[in-house]
Amino acid sequence: MHDITMELSSSEQPPYVPKPHQWPALKEAVHHSQQLFRQVLNSMSEPGTFAEVDLAPLPKDVAMSPAAWAVLLVLCDLDTRVWIADELNRDGLAEAIAFHTGARIVSRAEEADFALVVPSTCQAMPRFSEGSDIYPDRSTTLIVVLASLAEGRSDASRRGNTCWQLSGPGILNQRVLELDDTAEALMQRLALNRASFPLGLDTILTSGSSLTAIPRSTRIQKPLEDASPTPFTHPAKERV
Amino acid sequence: MYVAVKGGEQAIANAHRWMADRRRGDRHQPELQTEQIRDQLGLAVDRVMAEASLMDVELAALALKQASGDLTEAVFLLRAYRTTLPRLADSVPLKTEAMHVERRISAAFKDVPGGQVLGPTYDYTHRLLDFMLLAEGEIPDPERAQAGLEACPQILDSLDAEGLIEKELDDGTEPYDITRDPPDFPVDRATRLQMLARGDEGYLLALGYSTQRGYGRNHPFAGEIRQGTVEVEIEVEGFDAPLCIGEVMISECQMINQFGGSREKSPQFTRGYGLAFGRNERKTMAMALIDRSLRAEELGEPVQGPAQQAEFVLAHADNVEASGFVSHLKLPHYVDFQSELELLRRLRREHDLREPSEQERPV
Amino acid sequence: MTLRVDDQGGLAYSGYNFAYLDEQTKRMIRRALLKAVAIPGYQVPFGGREMPMPYGWGTGGMQLTASILGADDVLKVIDQGADDTTNAVSIRTFFERVAGVETTTSTAAASVIQTRHRIPELPLSRHQILVFQVPIPEPLRFIEPSEEETRVMHALEEYGVMHVKLYEDIARHGHIATTYAYPVKVDERYVMDPSPIPKFDNPKLDMNEALMLFGAGREKRLYAIPPYTQVKSLDFEDHPFEIQSWDEACALCGASDSYLDEVITDDQGGRMFVCSDTDYCQQCRGEVA
Repeated sequence: MHDITMELSSSEQPPYVPKPHQWPALKEAVHHSQQLFRQVLNSMSEPGTFAEVDLAPLPKDVAMSPAAWAVLLVLCDLDTRVWIADELNRDGLAEAIAFHTGARIVSRAEEADFALVVPSTCQAMPRFSEGSDIYPDRSTTLIVVLASLAEGRSDASRRGNTCWQLSGPGILNQRVLELDDTAEALMQRLALNRASFPLGLDTILTSGSSLTAIPRSTRIQKPLEDASPTPFTHPAKERV
Repeated sequence: MYVAVKGGEQAIANAHRWMADRRRGDRHQPELQTEQIRDQLGLAVDRVMAEASLMDVELAALALKQASGDLTEAVFLLRAYRTTLPRLADSVPLKTEAMHVERRISAAFKDVPGGQVLGPTYDYTHRLLDFMLLAEGEIPDPERAQAGLEACPQILDSLDAEGLIEKELDDGTEPYDITRDPPDFPVDRATRLQMLARGDEGYLLALGYSTQRGYGRNHPFAGEIRQGTVEVEIEVEGFDAPLCIGEVMISECQMINQFGGSREKSPQFTRGYGLAFGRNERKTMAMALIDRSLRAEELGEPVQGPAQQAEFVLAHADNVEASGFVSHLKLPHYVDFQSELELLRRLRREHDLREPSEQERPV
Repeated sequence: MTLRVDDQGGLAYSGYNFAYLDEQTKRMIRRALLKAVAIPGYQVPFGGREMPMPYGWGTGGMQLTASILGADDVLKVIDQGADDTTNAVSIRTFFERVAGVETTTSTAAASVIQTRHRIPELPLSRHQILVFQVPIPEPLRFIEPSEEETRVMHALEEYGVMHVKLYEDIARHGHIATTYAYPVKVDERYVMDPSPIPKFDNPKLDMNEALMLFGAGREKRLYAIPPYTQVKSLDFEDHPFEIQSWDEACALCGASDSYLDEVITDDQGGRMFVCSDTDYCQQCRGEVA
């Protein structure tokens, strides 16, 4: 079936677009969404900790990550507004979101409760809402689809990757996140949250079925470039 | 001791069983039927429905029965049920001008188009106990008019035509829904009216009364009070016109109040508005007084009386919230009380060390 | 939605959704919870629903518990530190009925603990969630009654009045006269009401391993302290924050490090002191035995 589609598209036919019902739903509305929510809550409470979502596979070759799709299924409904970056706005995603959650798709970034973005979206970051002084909670939550995402070690970043040191609420000392270099602009932007706190953007990072979160309360630094007096230290046993 | 004792669960179960027995009362008397409550205690049913924000005479009667006639408890029961109901549709605004009127009076005019219709009322009864009711005397059927009522246009519309009263136009904005979103003070008038409509009647009555006694006086005239049934309509996809899904009995009061206006704008009467489910005339009158007094700031009047302070009035109007929080003082608070005891003993010890006791002090 | 009266004369809750609240309400609360966690100590307004229990009796805590609870959670409910106080019994029974979850009185065995007025003595651990019932979430409320005003004070970080109030106590009594619901500052930003826990429990808020959620149903506010978050009780250099202490030890278990309740034993002024945390007291006695 898929092969036929590929052939069609190669002969200048419109590309294969999954139908909304081909995107997976939750196994059932109550318990599955509760389990996924607790994973998101846990990552938001302890920024930089990872969760693996358990969800039926997405349609083949879509740009979305299963983890980002799971977050939408859990948190969106008729009362939420979703903004979609151009890079992700394909594969019938907008129709699928409307079909599965009833959320409204908006074109104005500042109206979004949730924004589906990729790292390149953050090169010229749209004007998402950071909330107001009185109601800082009325802000956009970013759901980022990344190529890779891993718990990092400050001294062991792979070529082309950057390690980011996280600290603040939810983190005992430091936690390190390893992201590829396309995420530079995103992370630089999130690092600014600290200066505007309590205004800011809360972020759920996803790659494949992995997710983690960086709320606006998190302090973000590059440990290698940063010559701060409290450098990240590993437990000795990890070096062995 | 009702705490620190194992078996709290059994104690609770036994207490509820005792209450159920009390509610039922003497088993030699026939059990009160909800139909009897619905038909013979109709004003209590209406008040429960209004304050619970749920139009259902059957369930309101059941709540009253279950609550042994405690109105606040009955409101709470119905409110807690209401919150579990799915929302299927939003109605279009009720057309109260198209009401099938059973009562309609204006204190501002001697006579009005459509006539003054007294309808069923306790007004002008002499409040003498009717001992015939003790003896279960027969009640004669009411007199019925030969012809139906003429159309009853809204009385304030006649002033509107002359520009004597401020216009009220629907600006089309989606109203805030107080049952789904927390109030965000300061709130707009539509939100205020929602909060007042489910507010406690006794509370609204006292505050409305306070405006008449000078705490935020606004010179009211009862422009029109009407009571009757209106159609509830919803918009359905595929139909051009809204569809009627039923009728509800409501009460509406429009007060005419003293002038607003400015150098730019010629003086006009202002309005206060009250609306409630069922036959709740007293409540809608009080509500209209308070609606108007809460407009003080908007109309450039000094805010002096309690009934003009929106956050104060609205945050305390809900009797489910109020009775819950007052009654929570019955819950054990001994941990915090212990904190206070500890501090007080310490303060007294230190005080005694600092100063000789009363007896030792030289006179 | 059908209710049937069961044999005990109570209501059978089979007609209701898991944990009572409908899924849309849970989603609304869940979205608010994520914001609360992201802005520690900030009160997030939420569309609080009526619960089948009175406002002021824990409806805020119950709505949060209902929104996070899963079939595999183990729930503990305490009031005044005790599992067997009437309201704790009532709330625990409610969740047994509407969610069918396992319940426990053991602090260590619980994954979710709903509490009124206490933090358990046993240190909590990662992935436990403590849900507080909150009557008045606004720490500035008794200084400034208007919500409109207090919102602005939080926005401007204008907390001087709170210090003035505490200092007036010192001037009058020689001590800060606030002994419970003692205000704290969370992550150096928001002044927060920790709910009416005795100030004895305030140090447990600081860098706790568990996620702490606060729900005020009547006031329709929720807020949170993530794990490992700095929480400081307000004080002055010359009047540092201090907690209650007793000359006595628990008459039942002998613990001298727990919060004690005074129990009047006769009408001659006789009294004894016992742990307010019933599970802690039992554990202590178990170890001794």
